[in-house]
Amino acid sequence: MAHVPYQEALPLHEPKSFWTRYVWSQDHKVIAIQYTLTAVAVGLVALVMSWLMRLQIGFPGSFSFIDPSTYYQLVTMHGMIMVIYLLTAIFLGGFGNFLIPLMVGARDMVFPFVNMLSYWAYLLSVLVLMASFFVPGGPTGAGWTLYPPQAILPGTPGSDSGIVLMLVSLILFIVAATMGGLNYVTTVIQARTYGMTMMRLPLSVWGIFMATILALLAFPALFVGGVMMLFDRLLGSSFFMPAVVSMGKMLDYQGGSPVLFQHIFWFFGHPEVYIVALPAFGIVSDIISTHARKNIFGYRIMVWAIVSIGVLSFIVWAHHMYVSGMNPYFGFFFAITTLIIAVPTAIKVYNWVLTLWQGNIHMTVPMLFAVAFVSTFTIGGITGLFLGNVVIDLPLSDTYFVVAHFHMVMGVSPILVVFGGIYHWFPKITGRMLNDTLGQIHFWLTFLGTYAIYFPMHYLGFIGMPRRYYAYEGYQFIPESAQDLNVFITISALMVGAAQFIFLYNLAWSAFKGKPAGSNPWNATTLEWQTPDTPPSHGNWGDRLPIVYRWAYDYSVPGAEKDFIPQNQPPAGENPGGAATT
Amino acid sequence: MVQNSSEQHRPLTVPEEWRSGVHNRLTEISTDWSSDQDAFKNVPWGKAMMWIFLVSDTFIFTCFLTGYMTVRMSTTEPWPVPSEVFALTIAGHHIPLILIAIMTFILITSSGTMAMAVNFGYRRERHKTALLMLATALFGASFVGMQAFEWTKLIVEEGVRPWGNPMGAAQFGSTFFMITGFHGLHVSIGVIYLSTVAFKVWRGDYQSRGYEIVEIAGLYWHFVDLVWVFIFAFFYLW
Amino acid sequence: MVIAVALILIVIGSVWFHFWSPWWLTPLSSNWSLMDDTLMITFVVTGFVFVVVNLFMAYALIRFRYRADRRAAYEPENKKLELWLTGLTTVGIVIMLAPGLIVLADFVHVPEGASVVEAVGKQWQWKFRFPGKDGILGNTKPRFISNQNPFGLNPDDPNAQDDVLISNSELHLPVDLPIQVLLRSYDVLHDFYVPHFRVKMDAVPGIISSLWFTPTKIGRFDLACAEYCGIGHHTMRGAVFVEDEGSFQNWLNNQPTFAQTIAKQTIGSENSQVRQGRLLAEAKGCLGCHSVDGSPGAGPSWKGLLGKTETLTDGTTVVVDENYIKTSILNPNASVIKGYSPIMPAYQLTDDELNAFIAFTASLSATNNTADNLVSKGKQLAEQQGCLGCHSLDGNASAGPTWKGLFGKTETLADNTTIIADEAYLKEAILNPNATIVAGFAPIMPPYTFSDEELNALIAYTKTIQ
Repeated sequence: MAHVPYQEALPLHEPKSFWTRYVWSQDHKVIAIQYTLTAVAVGLVALVMSWLMRLQIGFPGSFSFIDPSTYYQLVTMHGMIMVIYLLTAIFLGGFGNFLIPLMVGARDMVFPFVNMLSYWAYLLSVLVLMASFFVPGGPTGAGWTLYPPQAILPGTPGSDSGIVLMLVSLILFIVAATMGGLNYVTTVIQARTYGMTMMRLPLSVWGIFMATILALLAFPALFVGGVMMLFDRLLGSSFFMPAVVSMGKMLDYQGGSPVLFQHIFWFFGHPEVYIVALPAFGIVSDIISTHARKNIFGYRIMVWAIVSIGVLSFIVWAHHMYVSGMNPYFGFFFAITTLIIAVPTAIKVYNWVLTLWQGNIHMTVPMLFAVAFVSTFTIGGITGLFLGNVVIDLPLSDTYFVVAHFHMVMGVSPILVVFGGIYHWFPKITGRMLNDTLGQIHFWLTFLGTYAIYFPMHYLGFIGMPRRYYAYEGYQFIPESAQDLNVFITISALMVGAAQFIFLYNLAWSAFKGKPAGSNPWNATTLEWQTPDTPPSHGNWGDRLPIVYRWAYDYSVPGAEKDFIPQNQPPAGENPGGAATT
Repeated sequence: MVQNSSEQHRPLTVPEEWRSGVHNRLTEISTDWSSDQDAFKNVPWGKAMMWIFLVSDTFIFTCFLTGYMTVRMSTTEPWPVPSEVFALTIAGHHIPLILIAIMTFILITSSGTMAMAVNFGYRRERHKTALLMLATALFGASFVGMQAFEWTKLIVEEGVRPWGNPMGAAQFGSTFFMITGFHGLHVSIGVIYLSTVAFKVWRGDYQSRGYEIVEIAGLYWHFVDLVWVFIFAFFYLW
Repeated sequence: MVIAVALILIVIGSVWFHFWSPWWLTPLSSNWSLMDDTLMITFVVTGFVFVVVNLFMAYALIRFRYRADRRAAYEPENKKLELWLTGLTTVGIVIMLAPGLIVLADFVHVPEGASVVEAVGKQWQWKFRFPGKDGILGNTKPRFISNQNPFGLNPDDPNAQDDVLISNSELHLPVDLPIQVLLRSYDVLHDFYVPHFRVKMDAVPGIISSLWFTPTKIGRFDLACAEYCGIGHHTMRGAVFVEDEGSFQNWLNNQPTFAQTIAKQTIGSENSQVRQGRLLAEAKGCLGCHSVDGSPGAGPSWKGLLGKTETLTDGTTVVVDENYIKTSILNPNASVIKGYSPIMPAYQLTDDELNAFIAFTASLSATNNTADNLVSKGKQLAEQQGCLGCHSLDGNASAGPTWKGLFGKTETLADNTTIIADEAYLKEAILNPNATIVAGFAPIMPPYTFSDEELNALIAYTKTIQ
């Protein structure tokens, strides 16, 4: 055994006033809830934007206030909010903050003050982003990828002020993500409890841990790209701006490279999608394991898969740039690395399914969401194989095939995990269960609805329907029937959107009136369920830190009395701390 | 090797037959790093956090420098020659890169005083530590001052702007201001950071807690110095 | 139970949907059938995985559903199984990747003897350029781009003179001949995409990118922009007409070359001297103070200047003839017209340049062409200057108001005033668009410095669009 963890040596200081307990809180659990509520709120704004976009596509021209300019602004803000301000924030800031200290057996993050600052920086970045709706010209309409030269030239909405606020907001978000990320990584590396080795960590921690490392290394590239674009826009520099004739006038820029921005952006952008996916992978492993009463199949290789996916994610970025005009020979390298990364990902899918095999499966609401994740992620990952192969990407790039792919793999699967995770951990956060009936309704509407939206959408990509189009009149290669499919997708989208209010209602109602859950309603093994109080009190563990004796997946151990053994339960014949029982 | 059985509660042990050569060393490293509580033994969390932050910051400067090298290599107009642009005429002698050389010397010296401060910190000689830290901060401040002089000279005398300059490629000005600007910002933050810690050291705040904080500040300072070496090499010497 | 049944239904439904779906790849009309084949291979391999994973999961969910009297198995890992699965997956990946890379090698190597055409993207239309008889595309530079030289060709490059220019977003190509499309952009990223040909590539300002294909079917194929390029992105459409060699040559011969477009710049019989004068006026910056359409500026407008009687600052009157104009250029402040400040710098032009300038000034006082020429000139202008990229002729909503039924229409402007779109309004809207924006449209139209004759032609054309 090693030395006493520093947390044992520190006195526990409990905040006293309302403000330091619930607002300026340095407690990771409160910060997690703050992150989650903010992310959900801004995600609802983006959800409404998606309805407006679908209304225009499904019923073109019916809403006169959705003109091309507004439409492209919706496209951009919806994308940026969902990817960065919802998914990244909720997985790292929400789930990461709540779960990491509890699952590693710590009292809190290593630097709680900086953790608190990270939330307020995130909130500020959200407010700056929302402010872009109120400036002249409105928010930027450059597409979430913000490609220059269009992002800062007239002809694109928001090229005056909207783009500036977007870039400033992103920079603030990166500051927040860095402050939070440093905490998460350092806590996992240096602040685990006695007996909690790296290979005894639950996969949720591994997923979030690896994702945070990716964030710390990838966000710098977005930061640099954003700064350079701000310089181009505000100071007239020419990092990304070649000589252009815009709106009849030759501008002062020259010598810059738009493709340079794309390299910088996607060097961030590809790891970003794994920043969203890896925590989802980890969380879904734990949900399946718990609710199937069976250890995750192949834990070690699951860990290695997470690590190798993370590492490989840095050398695949230009598969977003096959048609960018970059040197075409790069396509060979990036197609190879992209298809290589499919191997560890596929192994994870097999292992989830093999975990179910010979399990004893409770079809609870979290389990439903986990199963739905495996099914939809398989499709999403598979369509990625199409796009990763250059010559298949040539016809499909910038069509609705790509839109369907990234929604399946980022918008459907990880969101299903967010829901599943909330249904799973809500009892620990609040001490009450979420209502099961409402959960079932929410699940079925969401799962079947999102499948109905995005599966057929791939076929709109096959016919060549381009993305980021306000309307499709005048194109003879698009048949009339495609419009029928668009109507179907729009109606499905509106229904799925409405279904989310069932979930919100469930959250609000169950927080106060839900069935009391006890401390471990799912009979799970991981440490967060073994806290002395539920919801966990400040400092999480009471007087003494827990001692860990086993890995996180001792479910249905042959010869054991119950079908699960918590991580901190000593072996038979020993007291906690190693002394033998008499 | 049974790692995950339910009976195992002690840190991992390595089978006897594995104790040989490279495999032994690699397995020992992996055992150490994956052991319970902490991966890096005797490393306080603050130091680990600073290292990780510095890795992230390295990526930022790498991206800046890579972007700069890309625009420089694909410039459509000739790139101004740094040794000419950054020359000074002192007492009738035209000396290329003299100010940069002095700035580099000062920054490297400041890393030396910082290292000495760390040393004295661990020997708990708080006054010497604080003074050396202040000296480091002063060197840093003078570095920033000289950089400010360089900026003023370029802006006022040579007419260098982010959007163009009379000497050649427009990107020269924008990359110069951006990269030296961010580096100067880091140095300035370092000066404030070091001064604050020096003040607390002098006061005796760390006598009981331990002087790791000085080493952590030192890590940041050495990073700032190292980044300058790269900027110096890639921007001024190329 | 229900979820397992749902998964099975999803598998069946998805497979059924795939075979029933009327939405499939556009009929291939180029040589890239191997791309479609690679797509099918990928479909088969991944489709197999999709079906197996979902069905296996459904089976496990049914067979291993919770029973209180059962326990799950305890199997931390199974190295052999993992290795097999990894191996099989790798094989599957190789089966998909190998053909993909082989076809990519094909795409990257443009075949010997492929012809060349240039496609230029600008917000929001396509222009095309053939190399002409000499087979070489002339040099271009952004600073040469002007209303008169929309392709930005270097007028001093001999290779540019015979380049064939097409400005109406419609490209014709001969069937069964490999063609390399060189892509260029004026302003922002665009993307040349013809679904029937399969290939696409971004047009990036500052570089020249390319793609190649061999059209194999005769017909008309939609060209769509496939890289978001601003609010007109969805209207940036064009067409590619693939025809037999004879029809193609016919069409090509009917398109103007660069030399020809330079020659017939204005509506009047502008000869090369007039053109030289006009280019001079632009290059020397005269138009910064002197307008060509009568609008006031720092200096007198040149419209109708030649032959006019003017009063000078010292009270004397003078008829503006050739001599007066020459003096005004060489020694301007000796005889400034009343009401203007003596701020014009002197220009030392040669005799030739002075004469060219006089010829240009004379053309600004010339009378119009006949009426029927006017409409066709207006139509030509509208196409060449890119108006149709934002203004439709058929009533459809676009980046700018439709021209259908525009003349004489009552419109509400962005500042809530109502106007009638008559001649005066339309001229103003072309010369100074952002001051006269119609409500509901973004102020992004660039101003155009047309002569009075050109404006009349455009208006005549607009009147015919009912």
